[in-house]
Amino acid sequence: MSGSKPDILWSPHHPDRYVICDSELGLYRIGPSSGAEETTATLLAINSDTPYMKCVAWYPKHEPECLLAVGQANGRVVLTSLGQTHSSACKELVGKEFVPKHARQCNTLAWNPVDSNLLAAGLDKHRADFSVLIWDVSSRMALDSGASANEKLRLSLAEADSGSVVTKPLYELGQNDACLSLCWLLRDSKLLLAGMHRNLAIFDLRNTSQKTFVNTKAIQGVSVDPHFHDRVASYYEGQLAIWDLRKFEKPVLTLTEQPKPLTKVAWCPTRTGLLATLTRDTNIIRLYDMQHTPTPIGDETEPTIIERSVQPCDGQIGSFAWHPSSQNRMVVVSATNRVMTDFTVFERISLAWSSTSSLMWACGRHLYDCAEDSGGGEGSAERDIATKMRQRAGSGYGHDTVQLWRNHLLAGGDDPQLKSLVFLPMMVTHMKLCAEDLELKIQGNKQSLVYSGIKNIVKTSATESRRSWSGSEWQTDVPRFHSDERCLALRLCGWISRGSDIDVETFLRSLEQEGEWERAAAVALFNLDIRRAIQILNTGASTAKGELNLNVVAMALSGYSDEKVCLWREMCSSLRLQLNNSYLCIMFAFLTSEPGAYDGVLFESSVAVRDRVAFACMFLNDVQLPRYIDKLTNEMKGAGNLEGVLLTGLTNDGVDLMESYVDRTGDVQTASFCMLKGSPVDVLKDPRVQCWIENYRNLLDAWRFWHKRAEFDIHRGKLDPSSKPLAQVFVSCNFCGKSISYSGAAVPHQGRGFSQYGVGGSPTKSKVTSCPGCRKPLPRCALCLMNMGTPVSHCPGTGRSEEKVDLTRENKLAQFNNWFTWCHNCRHGGHAGHMLSWFRDHTECPVSACTCRCMQLDTTGNLLPADSS
Amino acid sequence: MDLHILDHRLRVTSIAKKGLVDFTHPLIKLIFLRNRTRCKFFSLTETPENYTVVLDEEGFKELQPSEHLQVESSIWLPLNVVSNGNTSCSSQAVGVTKIAKSVIAPLAEQHVSVFMLSTYQTDFILVKEKDLSVVISTLEEEFNIFKEEGGESVPVHSQEVSNGLQKNGKEDIHPTVHPVLIPLNHFCVMSLDPDTLPAIATTLIDVLFYSSSHKDEGQSSSSESLDCIKFFSFSLIDGYISLVMDTEAQRRFPADLLFTSSSGELWRMVRIGGQPLGFDECGIVAQISQPLADSDISAYYISTFSFDHVLVPEEDIVSVTEMLRHQRKEAAAEF
Repeated sequence: MSGSKPDILWSPHHPDRYVICDSELGLYRIGPSSGAEETTATLLAINSDTPYMKCVAWYPKHEPECLLAVGQANGRVVLTSLGQTHSSACKELVGKEFVPKHARQCNTLAWNPVDSNLLAAGLDKHRADFSVLIWDVSSRMALDSGASANEKLRLSLAEADSGSVVTKPLYELGQNDACLSLCWLLRDSKLLLAGMHRNLAIFDLRNTSQKTFVNTKAIQGVSVDPHFHDRVASYYEGQLAIWDLRKFEKPVLTLTEQPKPLTKVAWCPTRTGLLATLTRDTNIIRLYDMQHTPTPIGDETEPTIIERSVQPCDGQIGSFAWHPSSQNRMVVVSATNRVMTDFTVFERISLAWSSTSSLMWACGRHLYDCAEDSGGGEGSAERDIATKMRQRAGSGYGHDTVQLWRNHLLAGGDDPQLKSLVFLPMMVTHMKLCAEDLELKIQGNKQSLVYSGIKNIVKTSATESRRSWSGSEWQTDVPRFHSDERCLALRLCGWISRGSDIDVETFLRSLEQEGEWERAAAVALFNLDIRRAIQILNTGASTAKGELNLNVVAMALSGYSDEKVCLWREMCSSLRLQLNNSYLCIMFAFLTSEPGAYDGVLFESSVAVRDRVAFACMFLNDVQLPRYIDKLTNEMKGAGNLEGVLLTGLTNDGVDLMESYVDRTGDVQTASFCMLKGSPVDVLKDPRVQCWIENYRNLLDAWRFWHKRAEFDIHRGKLDPSSKPLAQVFVSCNFCGKSISYSGAAVPHQGRGFSQYGVGGSPTKSKVTSCPGCRKPLPRCALCLMNMGTPVSHCPGTGRSEEKVDLTRENKLAQFNNWFTWCHNCRHGGHAGHMLSWFRDHTECPVSACTCRCMQLDTTGNLLPADSS
Repeated sequence: MDLHILDHRLRVTSIAKKGLVDFTHPLIKLIFLRNRTRCKFFSLTETPENYTVVLDEEGFKELQPSEHLQVESSIWLPLNVVSNGNTSCSSQAVGVTKIAKSVIAPLAEQHVSVFMLSTYQTDFILVKEKDLSVVISTLEEEFNIFKEEGGESVPVHSQEVSNGLQKNGKEDIHPTVHPVLIPLNHFCVMSLDPDTLPAIATTLIDVLFYSSSHKDEGQSSSSESLDCIKFFSFSLIDGYISLVMDTEAQRRFPADLLFTSSSGELWRMVRIGGQPLGFDECGIVAQISQPLADSDISAYYISTFSFDHVLVPEEDIVSVTEMLRHQRKEAAAEF
């Protein structure tokens, strides 16, 4: 503080006042200025009575206000005041001087926060004197009787007369050492923490001969965390150490060393665990957030801290001080010419996603909960994938293994990509059946073919045939290609149904029923039945809601002629691009294209992939077709478009495609189900697939969809037997130590043992209530005192016989109430149903004299599943 | 009690008065330009014979070899006793007196030569580096010994178990009783805020380097010859300044800048030695400090290149004089 380096002190009781001290003391009042956000500081008073100031401390009590203790270079401590002083108490104190026996620099001052008449001063060392002197400011004796007459004489007469000089401190501590920093401990006002020359020492005023100390270099700027009274910060050069007074042997934490020496360290009084530090010659203040620091347990726990820095002003910072009550606010004074900045440290924002798609963020003392807007069907398409997945999981998406096509409806039925997946299970079914048909012809790996897509099917050659337009007078033939594989592909695309029938009429009717007139017309046209196409369009125009356009299209269509050069052809090829419906568009593209050059159809991306593939299967030759399919496959993979599954099948190619789908959407749910549905084992073993499945399971757990998770696991176990977990719990007899589940059956099956003991209700099966090995009884339920293996006694209210009728054997097996469960801590237990009802009303174990809080030990025990079914 | 072996390696040198002109530059640099040198331990004492300069190796580099510069060949290590606050010292006696019994006497018995340097802040006991193991084994019973290395205090224990022999291998001889000189000037021991050092720079330079010219002018020559001797000491050690000067010199400094005790105590000097004492003789400090400790008289002890100097409170000088005379008589009687 000497010379130019200023320091700031906030008034402990006036939130708008502070003092800046450099060569003199200046009292300022801070208040809002005319500008909306700005504040201005007004200079209220200046005090330059005390030269050679080394340190200043503000009297902590309300009255007298503005009383300051100033420590000087010669070790004298002077009480002074700023501004008007009315109170007599203040007048009495101001001007008092406390003189150490041997003059040397006063390094630090600290008022006792409770006994406010105690003022501790830390001085440089003297060979024969103490360096920590605690003065009693209320002391009236100028010179106590202990001082020798000699000393009295030497003191200047004026000083002695005024009665304002105190030479006898109340306590003298820290002999033959220098004291560089001081602070009173908040946990006990009789304890003083001092940064001595080589150690940190805690002096107890009740027993001054004793001290606790720890050797360290970090002895500067000791300060206690106002929110956590055992936490202390101190520094040395650029190194900051955090101490826990309960474990004082070494620092709890040593923070990264700064290249420049630290000059000030201060705990934020309004925010727990926030420490601000300032180094020399810098324009930033470094903040350490120890908010989430756990209480240190054990030797090696280093709490985590978050470090950041703020730049309150452009110039170099001389000093700073936290506002005593205003949140995170500080005043910063520049190193030169007293430029002051009122600055509020912006609170770190922490953010957390809940598993149910709401978002929570905390800033300062505010907590914001952002839930997704659930209103309006319009918005539902834009919902986060997690919300969608949760809804779908809730409605049983993917679980309907009997009627696979319903999954699409369960998913909400609004995603065109998922809709395309409807065909996937159909495809697999087809493939399985077709593979059987083809088995004799293709001597290949049947298993892999079942799951492969069109890409792998259409590799065989086809015979070319020319077909003429049906129902028209044109003579031009259009080249079409046939083979069994292409036929299979067409079936997979849904154009023709299974069997020998290769007529598309069925498909057309179904399309007409769904009102997909344009598509139906296009399919009819591609089957070279232009009359049917026109008829479909006419029907569509008459039934659909005012789609008169279709009539116009039908009209245009009927104008087709097979002449290569004519006005119709010319106009159609240019005007077709203006048609809104892509199916209408490709119809004209087809009609105006040369045979074999159908790019206008094949690369119309808004046309469903399966229609394009089916088209390609009909009209592309053996060279063109694989090339087109490959190209399309890569396009689908790149875009992560699920329609592409038709091409790739559930092969490794399919995993690639699914991967880019998951990358794009995050929908691990669909990915998990698809891959489980039909994939061969080697594809399931793909780490990506395993990752999706595990993540989906975790997601279900996070949503507390435990039943769904279990269902999924069962489902998965059926489709992928290798995923079944091994038995994790075995029950052994207390007496003979043998497993009781194994002895029952000759060949133990997974999970079988428990049902046997858990239920026992099955009338046909004999109850097992004793160990099959040693015949000693099994443990008893702590509540009903029945041995393990006995079913739960029925409630008297419900008729026994009636219940028996209701329950199928399967239901009984699954009846959780009959299960035996026990606490891993106290080892008491009983029927799950009994235990659950007991802990509904009690916290302690049902066994008398056992005080185990079993249910509370189970962190998830008190959570209820969100999908209770 | 803790004994700290400080992290300084010191040289003891002497500059002849007439050779001072060659050394003014390094000396001014070492005194006033703290941030321009890495010297952490510097002490300059002017006696009528010469200037004694004790400084660490960093500072020693600044001194150019010269015919006027005498250098003691050993490396000296400073020891410092820290009371650690656990022992409440009832005795008012300070400085050398306090450590006389615990450090100086045992070291004298082991024939370890010591070089004392008292300052306002503390007392340094300088021992030769080669004697360190003897010092440690001698003092480790009484003290927790720490060696300071790069700011950290490391506990030290003696390397080998001593076999009980005199480690310095000398005969146990009776110490010589040296003649003493008691000048009439009153001395004060003071300190100074290093930040205000520039404020007294000119006075300090004047007192340190031009004192002889004052004398030559003969203003105070009447009392100078025997009754008063010129003695001025300045030390800057680990950032702490200590000054020892007589009241005449003190008057030339601004009163409000120098720190001293509030009682303004004054000290009288006892100079030990008629011939230059050398650096090998041991027991000189013990000889004086022992009786002072017995009578509970506080003292400063400043060794220089040629002689040793003890400062005692002025009110005690009569009894000290008496005591020393008695000691001489005893010594004479023994022979």
